[in-house]
Amino acid sequence: MDTLIDLGGGFASALEPLSLAFALLGVLLGTVVGVLPGIGPISAIAILIPVSFGMEPVHGLILLCGIYYGSMYGGSITATLIKTPGEVASAVTAIEGYEMARQGRGKAALATAAIGSFLAGTLAIIGLTFLSPVLVKLANVFGATEYFLLMATALLLASTMSSGSRAKALISIFIGLAVGLVGLDFQTGLPRQTFGLNLLSDGIDFTIFAMALFAIPEAIRNLALGRGAKEEIQSFGEDKWMTKQDWQRSTMPWARGSVLGFIIGILPGVGPSLASFMSYIMEKRISKRKDEFGHGAIEGVAGPEAANNAGVGGAMIPLFSLGIPGSATTALLLFVFTMYGLQPGPLIFRDDSGLIWTIIASMYIGNVALIILNLPLVGVFVKLLKMPKEILFSSILVLVVIGAYAIEFSLFGLMMLGIFGVIGYLMEKGGIPLAPSILALVLVPLLEDNFRRMLQISGGSFMPLLTRPVSLSIIVLMILGIVGPIIFRWWVRRRQLLADVSME
Amino acid sequence: MRSMSPALRGDVITGLAVTLIGVVYYIATFWIQETNNIVTPRTFPAIVGIALIVLGVFLVGQALYRGRKLAEAAPSAADSATGRAVGSGGEDGSASGGASAVVLEAPEDPPSKKVVLQFVLFFVYLAILIPIGFLLSTTAFLMTMTSIYAPHRWIRNLIFSVLFALVVYVAFVYGLAVYLPVGILG
Repeated sequence: MDTLIDLGGGFASALEPLSLAFALLGVLLGTVVGVLPGIGPISAIAILIPVSFGMEPVHGLILLCGIYYGSMYGGSITATLIKTPGEVASAVTAIEGYEMARQGRGKAALATAAIGSFLAGTLAIIGLTFLSPVLVKLANVFGATEYFLLMATALLLASTMSSGSRAKALISIFIGLAVGLVGLDFQTGLPRQTFGLNLLSDGIDFTIFAMALFAIPEAIRNLALGRGAKEEIQSFGEDKWMTKQDWQRSTMPWARGSVLGFIIGILPGVGPSLASFMSYIMEKRISKRKDEFGHGAIEGVAGPEAANNAGVGGAMIPLFSLGIPGSATTALLLFVFTMYGLQPGPLIFRDDSGLIWTIIASMYIGNVALIILNLPLVGVFVKLLKMPKEILFSSILVLVVIGAYAIEFSLFGLMMLGIFGVIGYLMEKGGIPLAPSILALVLVPLLEDNFRRMLQISGGSFMPLLTRPVSLSIIVLMILGIVGPIIFRWWVRRRQLLADVSME
Repeated sequence: MRSMSPALRGDVITGLAVTLIGVVYYIATFWIQETNNIVTPRTFPAIVGIALIVLGVFLVGQALYRGRKLAEAAPSAADSATGRAVGSGGEDGSASGGASAVVLEAPEDPPSKKVVLQFVLFFVYLAILIPIGFLLSTTAFLMTMTSIYAPHRWIRNLIFSVLFALVVYVAFVYGLAVYLPVGILG
């Protein structure tokens, strides 16, 4: 009951004209930026963080959450119409959605994505509303041991849950940790890893690092590719929206995607991208029309898009109630909170409960705004796809430069931006994923602080990890979380083998 | 090495680079003053340095091992093993390869010379931004970048460069109170 009262209060202030305006603006801005080819939610937020400087915290956060939602939907448009996913989460949409668009069913693909996102997003926020207070209560028994363990789990999962090389994902995490440790040690005040440069004693700014990694390599790569790399934009003048059959085929994938996405989203270190992939794989497995997958199966858009958006809501739960981001994008949001002097976690629900509930309420509003604005306006957004690449990417470079300048007001800050841009480019070229390092950079101060406190309390012993009931439970869950996927993969492969055998 | 696929050769280079970074990072920890806490300020940086070395060496070893195995077996179908995930901006930069149901296309790689040129121009822009000022340096930067890409549309490029710089300047300085450098116009 208390929760509903809190939420009601949140709605009261989220519906104030200015808050409402920022929620709408965020969704719109997010969609516009998300539509731009190659720009996903994380780049959109990184580029737009400077816009929120100097805003009231509540407005800035409402704006950025709206940008997050909007950019995810914008990414689906790009994936569907030009097969350029701005983010990994919409990579599967780029397969099925694009095929649908080629067959003249682009509108149906975008509609099932939008409606699925709305339903799943709203369900996930309902989950967030009621689960966060529970988790906050639980968090009261958490000590340094549990926090350290949760953060270590987040980093470990972020690396094991990735595709390609796990070693490379781990390298990305350690690069993030390495960057995060530069500067004065907060406990002793001693300089670390500054290579004798006084300028480095304040550490490397998180926003500069995020902008450098998520905007510059993509922009430079596209500018250097030059003409000739022109995408074919699928048009949809006379297409139909969803038919009755489309609705029937979408309903269950939406439901399954919502549940799956929400659960995966809550796990620390595992973002919505895994949710959308898992949903795709699941839909393909249980579909009666397996042969349609890869050739425009609507289930392959409906499920993953729902899972993706449910995952966002799920990922907000550990962020809000424990202060532990579940993905790179929520890591960016955590940074924005701290930029405003707020520390998400159990305390924020006590000390700034008005603010946190306003943000949660604004998420409901943002989801509604998304579906009201985006379906009718999709024709306008599509025009953005025709924006010449040289104009788009050179503008992005200018915007991140302004962002970096607005943070440091110095040549040093600008040079850091350029240097990390080069590092980001080289990482991408070497196949090292960028996102885990952002997560690591945000987590390293918390990780180290809790590690120190844990060992200080225990006098240097690691035993509390096993003797404290809560921490032991986390360890058990963590082992299940790591072993689980391996068994799942083994099971899937076995079934595949069996299926192959029975075919012969 | 000779018969190694480009992807594996790339891994060897990446692994060596990571190892080198780890070594430099670890050596740098010797300058951190020791304290008598249980966890000293050096503990974490040292762990990170060693981990980078280990991971770098592991990557090199893995690539060499795979290269040898591939040379023994069929030499084709090698590159798909270490295909990389979709471009940047990824939610988690990772994708569950999971059950081999989804194949992602690796993004096209631009020629290195052009990449270096773009980065050099970008650094020039960063260097002149404060002394020359936002308006002039940004117009020049945008004009250069767009004209390299589309030289024949220079009129459009010029109009865009001037307008974009002006609009952004006004928006940030008057709208958001972020004061951009005025430089020689000041």
